[in-house]
Amino acid sequence: MKLRRTRLYIPGNNPHLVENAGLYGADVVILDLEDSVPITQKFDARILVKYSLQNVDFGKSEKWVRINGINTPYWKKDIEEILPYCDVINLPKVESLDDVDTADEEMSLIEDENGIEPRKLVPIIETVRGLKNAREIATHPRVVALAWGGEDLTADLGIPRKKALILDYVRAEIVLAAKAEKKQALDTVFSDVRNMDTLYQYAQRARYMGFDGIGVIHPNQIEVVHRAFRPTEDEIEEARKIIKAAKEAEREGKAVISLNGRMIDPPVVERARKILALAEVD
Amino acid sequence: MVEAGTHEKGDVFVSIEDGKREVIIKSKLERLYGEAIRDTVEELTREIEAKIIVEDSGALDWVLRARLEAAIRKYRGEKI
Repeated sequence: MKLRRTRLYIPGNNPHLVENAGLYGADVVILDLEDSVPITQKFDARILVKYSLQNVDFGKSEKWVRINGINTPYWKKDIEEILPYCDVINLPKVESLDDVDTADEEMSLIEDENGIEPRKLVPIIETVRGLKNAREIATHPRVVALAWGGEDLTADLGIPRKKALILDYVRAEIVLAAKAEKKQALDTVFSDVRNMDTLYQYAQRARYMGFDGIGVIHPNQIEVVHRAFRPTEDEIEEARKIIKAAKEAEREGKAVISLNGRMIDPPVVERARKILALAEVD
Repeated sequence: MVEAGTHEKGDVFVSIEDGKREVIIKSKLERLYGEAIRDTVEELTREIEAKIIVEDSGALDWVLRARLEAAIRKYRGEKI
């Protein structure tokens, strides 16, 4: 599965930031056409992003574009302009499967016109209604992950984000909705760029909550998050033992895998494989 | 008059206004890149009979092309 531990947001109308976005090793670069671009710059940003996708070396980073939401007059033109050149469309304020279908229809149209492979879609859940429908939204074949947005969701609930008690439930719901469909779950942005210790704890907590990555807004955050998503030495050691036991059982034709007198179920072996794969990434 | 781009570092500001064709290029790096900038501007705006002002703040060629395309499309009446 594609690694998406870090998604680095870059304002789509800033050529200097866009030009350097691929230098930092983020798993994903998101060129933003939505909230970081004022209405007066939407037109210019869309074209700048199109050119950057064709001219800038984004390294190993997957190329996403956060377009404007389907409740705005801009999203169709965003898709029309940039879809052939990006890997993933990041669609904000998705509230229902109908919203995904609407975007999917437009994407299919542009893909057919350009004779290109279907692009992926990552909806951002950032309203109460979107959260309620997250399980359905995750079923769409174009959707590869669910992301969520804290600011808009708490605003929709009418509560201050820093005091919101509901966010762990929201996170759990996003993870369950995504994982039930074998999709990735992506936690929201950590926006305090000065506090690396708290970032590490935040990212590690996201990992143990079941998320596959978090959003970042500064290149300095990337290494910290990758470290937080790296399995611990104990986890790696345990995973190695499990894989070794599984291989031995297979060699000896045993149906049951055991380790230190303990029976190991197939999902545990699968988790061990994932841990070792994640450990060997960097 | 239409405008595209900004005066931020690494960007270029383009404006197009009605009038006799004229291309004005302002760049701190004019001695180094003035000719290359002018070539790109001429290539993309050849058919436009208007006054075109390009104020460069160290933009790469792809940025200049993006800003020129944005300005030209706006000048031709395209909306957001």
